[in-house]
Amino acid sequence: MSVDLSTLTVTRELDVTGLKCPMPLVKARQEIASLAIGDVLKVISTDRGSVKDFQGWAKAATQVELVGQSEESVDGKTLYIHFIRRLR
Amino acid sequence: MVDGAVSVTTAGLSELGKTTEIDTETLYNLLRQPHDFLLLDVRNEDEFQLWRIEGTYTPETLHIPYFLFLEDEATAVARVAAQTPAGRPVVVVCAKGGASDYVAERLRGHNIAAANLMGGMVEWGDFYAVQPMVERPDYQVYQVDRVARGCVSWIFISQGEAAIVDPLRYGRRYLDFLSGKQAQLKLILDTHAHADHISTGPELAQATGAAYYLHPYDAIHPFDMVPAQMAYHMLTDGQRFRLGALTIETVHTPGHTLGQVNFVVTAPDGEAFCCTGDNLFIESFGRPDLGGQGERWAPIVYDTIFGIMKTRVPQHAWILPGHYASPHEANAEGIYTKRLHDLWRENRSLHFADKPSFVRYVLGHLPYMPPQYVEIKRVNIGLSHPDVDTADELELGKNICALAG
Repeated sequence: MSVDLSTLTVTRELDVTGLKCPMPLVKARQEIASLAIGDVLKVISTDRGSVKDFQGWAKAATQVELVGQSEESVDGKTLYIHFIRRLR
Repeated sequence: MVDGAVSVTTAGLSELGKTTEIDTETLYNLLRQPHDFLLLDVRNEDEFQLWRIEGTYTPETLHIPYFLFLEDEATAVARVAAQTPAGRPVVVVCAKGGASDYVAERLRGHNIAAANLMGGMVEWGDFYAVQPMVERPDYQVYQVDRVARGCVSWIFISQGEAAIVDPLRYGRRYLDFLSGKQAQLKLILDTHAHADHISTGPELAQATGAAYYLHPYDAIHPFDMVPAQMAYHMLTDGQRFRLGALTIETVHTPGHTLGQVNFVVTAPDGEAFCCTGDNLFIESFGRPDLGGQGERWAPIVYDTIFGIMKTRVPQHAWILPGHYASPHEANAEGIYTKRLHDLWRENRSLHFADKPSFVRYVLGHLPYMPPQYVEIKRVNIGLSHPDVDTADELELGKNICALAG
């Protein structure tokens, strides 16, 4: 994805580390419903499967856009980070 | 894996309508007979396309990613309801059992009899079915079938001594099985350095003191050209072992790999068995290109199949392969075997006029090579040590060791 995630304005962060599928997506979906249209939610997960799941969800769902995804290594754990924007 | 063979029950379906979850053994038994239930796979599209649940009798399978149940539950449930008239039960499957548990619960809320497959495809991929092939007083042969991947390993027991050929990833299961049979592991034999699955051979040798054998040509990585970093004993062509009343002879059968061997096991009753690894399968044979040199190795496969297998292996021997592509390759008892003299006639991929036409056909029908196969070979010769999650990912999907078509 070509978006520069470091300059992206994030409206809210959602920490779902430690949660397993399907909870990262369930929680993200609840959270983004409380944001305004155009806002960006940053979701921080430790579930590797969430990478593909957020891609599939964003493709299927009309109200969100997956702006980007990244990985970070913190304390030997890999974090899978998803940036999603509410479209409508 | 329980002590002894997996029992085949027929009670599964009636229970299915009442239970909220089933384990992999129950699913395995359901798939061995015609049962009318719906498989609902809720993984991502690409995961579903890569690998799905199959059995001797694969039920109708519906694919609806779980997030569609989050987005528009009514529509997703209606699609399932359309396929489940008259209380037809549903088994819901995902990668690890979490999302499918969620979906199954939602479906039950709509009065659909849905059960979750516990542990999902990861557990399904790790399920081993153990079945006896021969159980005589003086020797026994058992098939260990990793059903989701089409990988087969073989256990021979005679007079309290045991040999395992091509052990799969979880050594503890073999040891539990052997202790139930009061047999001591003596020989661990790999027909070759595998590319599609992780061998527990070296680990088992360390844990038990039994000897682990591999041909030295396979103890070098075919891409990296780096030698193995693990303890092993070298196999040589013609090398013989005794296992109780059985004799095991090593026959060098290169082609799939340069160091592939087959093991010809001769029993006192005159029976013979040939563990072919990735040389001959029931419906196909091993591809020559997983070492990156298909054009050079395809003619070697020809010489092995139509030379060595005709002259060095008793033609009445039961072929015991390392893989299958479809459960329909098994006999009525679920064992993947045929006598070699029948295989020449019945394996339709063995009918070639000459070597050039064989090589031409092989090189024209090479299947996709999963990129992780290079890494799995590193693991199997001690060059790489993945953690459990990485190992699970490396082993994802069905084996693609046979030639296509």
